[in-house]
Amino acid sequence: MRETVLKTKGLTKSYGKFNALENADMSVYRGDIYGLIGCNGAGKTTFMKIVTGLTSQTSGEFEVFGKKGLAAEKERDRIGCLIENPAFFGNLTGYQNLKYYCYQKGITDLGQIDEALKLVSLTDAKNKKFKKYSLGMKQRLGIAFAMLDAPDIMVLDEPINGLDPIAISELRDTFRKLNQERGITIIISSHILSELYAVANRFLFIDHGRVLKEITKEELDLECCRCIVINTDDTKHCVTVIEQQGISDYKVIDSTEVRVYQENVKVSELNKALIMNDVTVNSITESGVSLEDYFKQLVGEVS
Amino acid sequence: MINMMRAELYRLTKGFGFWFFWTASLGTSLISVLFKEPGGVSFGASFDYPPSLKMDIVQLGMNFTYYFLLIIPVYNLISAEFNEHTIKNTISSSISKNVYYLTKFIFTMLYSVVSYTLACYIFYLLNRVINGSKYSSPAGEFTKALFRQLPVIAGFVAVFILVAFFFRKGAVLNSVTIITPIVYTTVSLLLFGIKSTKNTAEHLLKYEISTVMSKMAVGCTDSYRMTCYTGIAVVAAASAVLGYLAFTRRELD
Repeated sequence: MRETVLKTKGLTKSYGKFNALENADMSVYRGDIYGLIGCNGAGKTTFMKIVTGLTSQTSGEFEVFGKKGLAAEKERDRIGCLIENPAFFGNLTGYQNLKYYCYQKGITDLGQIDEALKLVSLTDAKNKKFKKYSLGMKQRLGIAFAMLDAPDIMVLDEPINGLDPIAISELRDTFRKLNQERGITIIISSHILSELYAVANRFLFIDHGRVLKEITKEELDLECCRCIVINTDDTKHCVTVIEQQGISDYKVIDSTEVRVYQENVKVSELNKALIMNDVTVNSITESGVSLEDYFKQLVGEVS
Repeated sequence: MINMMRAELYRLTKGFGFWFFWTASLGTSLISVLFKEPGGVSFGASFDYPPSLKMDIVQLGMNFTYYFLLIIPVYNLISAEFNEHTIKNTISSSISKNVYYLTKFIFTMLYSVVSYTLACYIFYLLNRVINGSKYSSPAGEFTKALFRQLPVIAGFVAVFILVAFFFRKGAVLNSVTIITPIVYTTVSLLLFGIKSTKNTAEHLLKYEISTVMSKMAVGCTDSYRMTCYTGIAVVAAASAVLGYLAFTRRELD
């Protein structure tokens, strides 16, 4: 069984009558790249702020490495963060800013700074003052800061904001590398669905403070990809006929639904073959949505 | 806490404020020493000191300039964190709000008091070396006068820290701390002009901050000193508690 590194139960944050986060339940497992997907103001940052101690929840609870309350607070030095915009001292260089935080965290190996700067391609700009950095460079320094002291979890709030396509691609590789080579669990939020899809393996859809769905990448693929959905009373017989048609890429979803993913299969021809072989077809439709449409559907279903 | 203090010291030395403080301090000290003339600013204290007092003690009495110079470390150590929003980096990954406040309070207080002490001793040494014993008191006497002033320094720095944590904006810290003694003196003088409030005004002027600093150095009665120290202790404790509440009970931006 996979170790749960972060778990929330009924996490709620209210500002007066406004609920920024409402009864959020979620679990992040060790080794996950966990994507928080939601529009602006959905509650992604609020969730991250609670977990990282920048604000406290109105109700509900969360566990970090199985610890709650004050004990969880002590585990916070195992978490590297970049919440909202990267903030550093403008009069210090990128290197000096990271050195300041190394001293603060009690990190004695200052070689980590160069390593982190190299990972985010900031080595050449390390002696440039932070106030002279471009937005993309600031973001990258924020990520380097989150990497310091080899955290077990990295919490990154909209880390690709302001980055150019090449930098986004490089960063994606960096996240994968950190996740695979160093075993860092990454919680990452974004409203750019395609980017999150490219890097995460589990997703949490959130809107207006409410959790819509927690889903793995495989499940998401299944829900989104183009396929023929057959609704029938006899899936066993249906599958036999499908195989007779030379179709191998299909999946039985439940006792009444079979999905065919194989390309170049025509709905009309498949329908004809099923009927001719006495399969009761209640419905047969072509399905499949883009990530954006899927998200819109989710939001629509809930509201 | 020690790690955070070490980090603060590192950052402090990289800032313009640090160098401005010491340049201003050394500059004014050198001017006084070279011209053999103590100098400073005051909003209420009389600069008519007994001729028996030597220049270094008189200079201590005129050191209200440091009220303004000591705004700099408070700004650099506390307000800059709010201005640049860097506070979230610290709170979110290594230090709780309670420890953060405590560390900032202790370090800012220590740094300010030590800086003032060091600046005064630098002046003393410069004066001693350049002008000799004619213009300087024995080290023990100077130390005694200086140490009598330190609670006053700690008192107003505690108030600065409260203002920094309460308003969370550097500009507000500067304006409030700079304008307060001016407003205090102006109100006192206005009250002084009204017959019915003259006694109150005299009382207010007696405990005006530059007057207190001056009297602590050049001499005052034991009862006056005790009254001042008691008042300072109350103000410092209240500032520490109010600053803590203002910081920990409000959301971070």
